[in-house]
Formats: sequence, C-alpha cells, structure tokens
Amino acid sequence: MKRLFLSLILPVLALPGIASARDLPKTPLPSYEPWDEEVVHTFENLLVQEGGRVKPLYSVARFTLLQYSGKTTAAFQTADGVDHKLHYAEWLLNVLFKGEVAKDLPVFIVDDSAAVVQIGVSPKSKRDRYSYNELFAGRAKLAELSAQFAEKQKKYQESEKDPQFELGRVEGMILTLGRNISSFEYLLGQFGFARKGELIVNENILPDELIDLAKRLDVVEMLNKMPEMSINQLMQAISTPPGSSQDEIMFSGALRLFFFHANTARGMNLFPPRETDNEVWLSASDLMIEALGDKDARPWAGEQLGKIQSLVDAKNESPEAFAKELTEFSKWQHAISDPRGEGLHSDLEVKMYRGKYFMNSLVCFIFAFVVMAFSWLTPGSKIGKTLIIVASLIALLGLYFNVHGITLRSIIRQRPPITNLYDTVLFITGTAVLLGLLIEYFTRLGVGTLVAILSGVLGMFLSMKYEAKEATDTITQLVAVLDTNFWLATHVTIINIGYAAGLVSAIIGIIYLTGRFVFMLIGRKSKDFFKTLTRMNYGVICFCLFFALVGTVLGGIWANYSWGRFWGWDPKENGALMICLWTLVILHGRMAGWIRDLGVHMNAIVLAIITTFSWWGVNNLGVGLHSYGFTDGVWGALYSTWMIFGAFMLMGVIVWFRERQSKLRKKDSSKTAETLPA
Amino acid sequence: MARKPIDWSPSNWPKLLYQFFTSFKVATAVFVLMTLVTLLGTLAQVDQGLYAAKVKYFHSFFFTDKIFGIPVLLPGGLLLMIILTINMILGALVKVRKRWRGAGLLVSHFGMIMLLAGGFVTWAFATDGYMALYPGMSSNRVESYRDWQLEVFPLDENGRAKQSWILPSDELQSIRVDEQRSYDADGLPFHVIINGFTKNATPIPTASIKSSSGKGKEIDGFKLVPQDASKEAEQNLPGAYVAFDPDGEGEGIEAILWAGSYRFDPGEDPMPFPFTIDGQLYGAMLAKKSWNVPFEVRLDEFIFERHPGVSTARNYESRVTRVEGEKETSLEIKMNEPMRFAGYTFFQESFGPSDGKPGEMFSQFAVANNPADQWPLWSLVVTTIGLMIHFCVMLVDFIIRSRRKTAAATQS
Repeated sequence: MKRLFLSLILPVLALPGIASARDLPKTPLPSYEPWDEEVVHTFENLLVQEGGRVKPLYSVARFTLLQYSGKTTAAFQTADGVDHKLHYAEWLLNVLFKGEVAKDLPVFIVDDSAAVVQIGVSPKSKRDRYSYNELFAGRAKLAELSAQFAEKQKKYQESEKDPQFELGRVEGMILTLGRNISSFEYLLGQFGFARKGELIVNENILPDELIDLAKRLDVVEMLNKMPEMSINQLMQAISTPPGSSQDEIMFSGALRLFFFHANTARGMNLFPPRETDNEVWLSASDLMIEALGDKDARPWAGEQLGKIQSLVDAKNESPEAFAKELTEFSKWQHAISDPRGEGLHSDLEVKMYRGKYFMNSLVCFIFAFVVMAFSWLTPGSKIGKTLIIVASLIALLGLYFNVHGITLRSIIRQRPPITNLYDTVLFITGTAVLLGLLIEYFTRLGVGTLVAILSGVLGMFLSMKYEAKEATDTITQLVAVLDTNFWLATHVTIINIGYAAGLVSAIIGIIYLTGRFVFMLIGRKSKDFFKTLTRMNYGVICFCLFFALVGTVLGGIWANYSWGRFWGWDPKENGALMICLWTLVILHGRMAGWIRDLGVHMNAIVLAIITTFSWWGVNNLGVGLHSYGFTDGVWGALYSTWMIFGAFMLMGVIVWFRERQSKLRKKDSSKTAETLPA
Repeated sequence: MARKPIDWSPSNWPKLLYQFFTSFKVATAVFVLMTLVTLLGTLAQVDQGLYAAKVKYFHSFFFTDKIFGIPVLLPGGLLLMIILTINMILGALVKVRKRWRGAGLLVSHFGMIMLLAGGFVTWAFATDGYMALYPGMSSNRVESYRDWQLEVFPLDENGRAKQSWILPSDELQSIRVDEQRSYDADGLPFHVIINGFTKNATPIPTASIKSSSGKGKEIDGFKLVPQDASKEAEQNLPGAYVAFDPDGEGEGIEAILWAGSYRFDPGEDPMPFPFTIDGQLYGAMLAKKSWNVPFEVRLDEFIFERHPGVSTARNYESRVTRVEGEKETSLEIKMNEPMRFAGYTFFQESFGPSDGKPGEMFSQFAVANNPADQWPLWSLVVTTIGLMIHFCVMLVDFIIRSRRKTAAATQS
C-alpha cells in the first residue's frame, strides 16, 4: 500500500524539476542585456486607458503576452548559451523600445505545426512557440488566410452557426496567429514616428524612397507645416497620384508616411485628454489625427508627441537618460490623472499581480494535498491527525491568499467581489474551501479538509486555465444594468455561495461513493463514518438550498427592478431554479423514502451536474438576457466533467447493486433455514 | 408484514385524494418533472426562442417533446405549479404536525406559496408593453411587444384619423392562414373581410421568384409570403389579406395589410392603407395592440454614456415629466431605478436608433402593470426567515450529534 502510494506521489513531486530541465527555445540573438529593475518598475506603472478604464501598463503587458504565448513569461536561450526568462512587463518594454530584440523572442504559440506549414514556414515541433522573425517569411500568406478565415467566421456568426462556415481547428489557429501578429506589429509601430526610419514595421510595404524619407522626417515638424485636413481628406490625398514635380512627389510621400505612422501608432492610449470633462485618453495616432485636423491643437499635440520623441532619443542615448525620461513621463501622467481620479489604484493593481496571490493559493492547496495524502499512511494515528491539522492550516493559508486577491480586485474596481465569470471562479473556490474547513472544524474527520483542498486545487487551477484561455483583462467595466453595487453584493454573491455549496456537496458525495466502493472491494465496513458523511452532505444540501433559493428570488427581484418582470424563464434564471429544484428533490425524496444514504450522495453529484450547467453551460447557449462570459470550448470541458461525475455515480450503482444482491441472498438463506427441518 | 389493501370505494376517494396531494412522493415527483421541464424549456430556447419555449413548456398543462428521439407526453409548467401549490397548502400547512421544531419549515413553505401565488397573479393579470419617446415627445399610450390588432378609421381632409374601429388582437391572431372571417364594423358603412392572417410574413412583388411560396392572391403586384417565425417573437411582422366590402356580397376593395407599414421608430408616422368608400376616405393598418395609462409622460432629456474609449454602455437614463392634469412632476428613470406610479411601473429599457447621436436618440420604457409586483419581495422575507430558523435548528442538532460521536469515539 505504502509503496503504491509513494509511486503515485513521487512523480507529482518531481514534475517541476522535469519541467525546468527542458531546453529553452534558442534565438539568434547573440546575447541579451536585461533592463534595469528600476526602469521596469517605472514602466509597469505607466498608465494607459484600455477597455474603458485607466490601468497600469503592467496589466496590458500581462494579458497581451498571455494572448500571444499562453504564458506570462518569455523564455529563451541566446546564442551565448545563456537562458533568459522575461517577465511580461520587460517583454513589452522590449517590444516598444527594443523592437529588433522583441522580433526574435519566441512568443507566438502555435498548437499545431500544420498551421505554420500552411503559411509556408518551416515547422518546429508539433506545438511550439515562434518568434516574429521566424514567422515573417509567411507574413503575406498569413494575412491572406487570416482575412479569408475572418470572413468565414463572420458568415458563421451571421448565419446563426451554419456548419458550412464553421472554422476548422487549424483555420482557427491561423486566424488567431494572424490577429496576434497584426497586434504585435501595432505594438512595434507605436513609437515608429519617433524613430526616424529606424525599425519600421512591415517596411517592405513602403517604397525605398519613403524609407529614406522616414529617416529625415520629423512628424511634429511636418504637422506644423501641413494644411488642416480631416483623416478622410488625407486618405483622398494619398490615393491621388502626385504631380510630376519633385516637390509634389515629396509632399505626397510625406503624406503617405504620415498616414503610415498615424496608422501604426493606434491603440495605446497613453495621453490624458486636454479637456477636463473628456474621459477618453488618446494614442499617439489620435494626437496626430487631431492635430492634422485642427491647427490650434498642434502645439499641445506636438508637446505630447515630443514626450515620446524624448523617450526614444533617451533610450538611444544611455540607460540612465532613458530611466530619467521614463520617470518624468510617469510623473507627468500621474500629475494629470490623479486630480481626474483616474488610475488611482494602478499601483495596487501592479502589487496584486506581482503578489501572485492566486498562484500562491494554488501552491498552498497542492502542498496541503500532499500533506493530507501522507496522513492516509497512518490513518487514525496521532501523526495522521497532526498531519490533517497541518494540511488544514496550509489550506487556510491558501484561503487567505485567495481572499486577499479577491479583496484587492474589489478595491481596485470599487465593486463587490463578483462582476464577471472569472470572479465567480475565484469566489466559488474561496467559499468552497471555507465550507470545507468549517465542516472540518465541526467534525474533525479529515473529510472537511479534503473537501477544502480538492475545491482549492480544482478551483484555482480552473481560474488559471480560464485566465490563460481568455487572455483578456479580468477587471472589466460593467454594462449599465450591472452598475449597482447593492444587487452585485446581494444576489450575485448569494447565488454563487449556493453554487459553491452545490459543488461541495458533490465532492462529499464523491468521497462517500469512492469510500463505499473501495470498502466494498476490500470487504471492510465503517457504518458510522459513512452515516456521518451523509449527515454532513445533508447539511450542505440544506445550506445550498438556502443560498440558491434566496439568491434566485433576489435575482428575480432585481430583474423586476431592472426589466419589469420577476421571472422570465431566461436560461440563467432557469439554471438557478434547477439547482433549487434538485436540492428539493433530495430533501423531499429522502422524506418520501425514495432516497436513502447512497441516493443522497448520488443525487448530490446530479446537483453538481446541474450546478456546472447553470454556472458555465447556459452562458454558452447563446440565448437569454443575462448570460455572461461566452467561452469557446466550454462544452467539451463540461462533457468531460460530467463523464467523470458519471463514473462516480456508476460506482454508486455498483455498490447499490451488490448490496441489494447480498440482502436478497440473506433473505433467501433465512427462508431456506426456516423451511429446513430442525 | 402484509400491507393493508387500499379501499378504492368512492366514499374513500376524498381521503385518497388528500393522501395523494399531501404526500412527499408527489412533491418529489413534481420537483423531478419540474427540473426536467425547466431543462427542456431552457434548451428549446436555442432553436425556438424564448417566447415560444415559454408558452410551450412553462405556460402549458401538457406538451409533447422528443427525448432521445422518442415523443413523450409531459406535464407542462403550469400544471406542475398548480399541483405543487396544492401539495404545499395541504401537505406543508394543513397536514403537517404543528410543533416548534418544524416552525421554520412551516413559515418557509408559506413564503413559497406566496411566491407561487404571485407568479399566478402575474401570469393571469399583469400587462406589459413599452413606450418609446424622442426628447420633447409626450404620450400616455403603451404598446404591446408582440400583439397586433387591425385598425380601420375614417380620415379627415388633412389625412388625420378619426375614431377607429378595432379588431382586437386575440380575435385577429386567431385567424388561420387559410381562413376567412367577416366582421360588421360598427359605425362604418362596410364589412371587413379577412382572408387569412399570417403571423410572420413579407409582401413580395410577384415578379420576384421568392413570391412563388406565397399561396394568397396577388394584389397590386404583390403577394404575402409567409416567413418562419422569428426566435424573438417581438420581431415577427404579421400580414393579412383584407377586403372592405360595402354591400356584403363578398367583394370590395382588397388590400394586403402588413405590420411592416407600422412605425419602427417613435418619430415615424404609420402608413395606413388608404381607400375611399361612398366618397369618404378611410385608412386601415395592422397596429400594435395598445392601451393608455392615466397620466402622460414627457421625455425632457435622454442621457446616454459609454465607458471611455469603448462601445459598452455605462449608463442610460431619461429625465421625464409626469403630467397628471395640471400637475407636473419631474423625475429620472434609469437602470435599476424605475418610476412607480398609479399601479404602473416605467423601466428604462432601451434606446435607439443604434447609430443615433447623443441628443437625437429616443428612449424606450418598459411599462408594466402587475398587481403582484412586490409579492416576491414579501415572500422572500418570509421564506428566508423560515429557512434560517429551520437550518439553525438543524445545524445545532448536527453539531451536538457530531460532538457526541467524537466524544464517544475518543472514550472508546
């Protein structure tokens, strides 16, 4: 038994070592000079407006790299044989200020090499990360195929999911890769206007004379000399063939170059607006376009663009000069944004991500699981009990990290803990862990701790997978109907506590069924232990009913305030109703004599199936007023989860069948005994 | 031990019925069936849309559905909720043994009965509709989302309608595509004959190949072509073949009336079909069923805000004046802050047009009149109190038992 246990545990413990021993991808970079830590720190605290809020550049870097790479670090080996692992903030610093380096970093994940083969690039391994330069040979083909697949995807959505327009797996990968490469090019080109011809993205689309001109062109100077024109007039001017004179050719070229720079500098809104009542921050591109259309705006726009020019010049001058300029830029941003009340919690946001609270939480739960597993070697002994207490304390620490992270997120957005699907994962995990630990406090059987640990591991792992899959900022702005802290704090929180209880109930059910199944196989009995589990689960089901019911009715009352009807049979409402109904099935079925101990636990698993459907499934039906968080690939994950649940229920069926047979045999033998002559 | 045989004699039926309706088994079966019906009704919304699924699964006594390809007759949500209400009243309030330990359950069941009763009152008596206004406009007219009626009215020399003759929506919408019904229009010198009503249709020129699926008559070069019902029932545009017959001989002025001629935007005027009989100009159109509220609402300003730099709506609110005779009251209606007055509730629902500029957009209010408006809130309070009492009793019981077990185990 012990040997079997060790053979299972040891490979798990060895996994991190195996992972770190893997060779990092090689780059043609001869060496890599890391950025000064202070510079990275200043950079990550710069403010940018994105997704309707002002946030630190740190968050943008995190989710951009996550989107490209599926990871938050860029790891590589330089030609000198040195391994490097860049944090996302440093990676973005390279993209914006050392583009030539960034282009060689292998950050674009391709899950199937068939995708790169289709664009004419030599594949590496089946699933690998490529640098921009490695993919550059297939850039034109990638653009062509991406456009084609984007059109197909649009038709798929417009035709209400007509299968003939559904993207294949590789097609989807090519489309994603095309979008990521395009987004990367925009990042590279953000400060292109200030580089005077050095590092122009996609420079092959510009004729040689424009590349030469770019080296001499000062955008701010040029702006001051241009006539006032709108963006439409500019596009019309550059599409008209120039006259034959040298001046006309030069002017036309300058306009084209201006448009090129203005186009590539879109997207990163680093500049607070001039007007105090305007909330929309501007990118370098917006500044150029605004100044082009309004001569009065040119001095101000020129001043703002000059700040980027200074940054780029300082970077070329020396690291010290760059650090100084970057600090100046940061101070300037905060001097404007602080009185406006924007980005007030950006430093907290950086601290939150730097603190890695959710990762620490997961580590704690895994560690607690290992300790818990060791307690099973000496069940019932003093050491075993001590190990359970230690595991409980470690799980409590994991819960602390979870709650700390959730609290910080609430403070940053000034909202209750749950505003989107990602938040529900964190919150439900925390609630389930707390429930498990409370059960342990009352029962001292080790089961509560196990429930807490399993909830913690599964929940925090799910939160990370979800964040990596979505790769978008998880601190989102709310639509108008959700703009109410009262209902978010009451209905949303309470219903999610109900979800958590439904899942905890299933975990207890799984422990019960597994226990009964194993005991049946080895021929052991522990009636009292299993009776306690049933009472425990019964309590959790009651708890689930209370919160699911109150949460559901509160949701109805909110709907009545917002939409004028209490109940609309909307999928999300129905999901919550089904949770209430199934808890009532268990409670009433038990009183009706239809459900006994085994039935309670099997039905608890059905409750979890309904809960997961309500939590994740209904969002993906694509109908309803308040389904939120559509996520690709959820159905596959749900079906797999339900199959696992099904497997545990099958154990219950086998136990029930065996017990029934054994009871029948006993009955038969007692009958036979009665009929035999004395 | 042998079971006592059931007495099936008619004199014992009331008792049997009482036993049946008060049993936990019935309650459990209803909950299982209700879960199944809810699941089917939820999944059906993907293909059928919310309204159709709601009517079929939840507002019905019975329905048939295919489960794994096999047609099954199932009880509808309405029937199940009626049985559940009876079960709760008889089983959880009347039959139950009254003792302090069960007080929480008694209270919570009473709360749930209130909730179901509220649902029934809403289903039977509540009305809902909408009112859309541009800034400066005022109205007391509320229109239905889905129901259409036929309006026929004389027009004066300026083209303005005098009092209308209305064929109510229930009557109009009950006419089948291939059915003819004739109506004697009170006060109008002609009969109105309807030759088929289609719930969702488009008039298409007969020159177009698409018109071939229209089985009706060609009128003025058009045919009414039926369309599949939209998933969003509000988007259905019905149509009807209508004749205005002065002498009752079955002929007269024929027309295709189509809901698409009604306004889509509160700033537009409907386009009735004009016709002349005995020198009098008349108009006829399919119009949204409407009713009046006992006060006027004037939209003074509509404020629409997006989160900076993105298209997500952050806030939309309407500054309105409520006019009751001489009295004017200024107030705001916004998301989660409706206006409640005289039994009606006005909710900030929507706005348009989608490409409208600030200051040039209309605001749409959902207008509900529900006698059971606040019942869910009261029932929630009652149920919560009941459940809290019960679960506290249960928890204390559980803890005491667990402690006893642990103590016993330690001693042994």
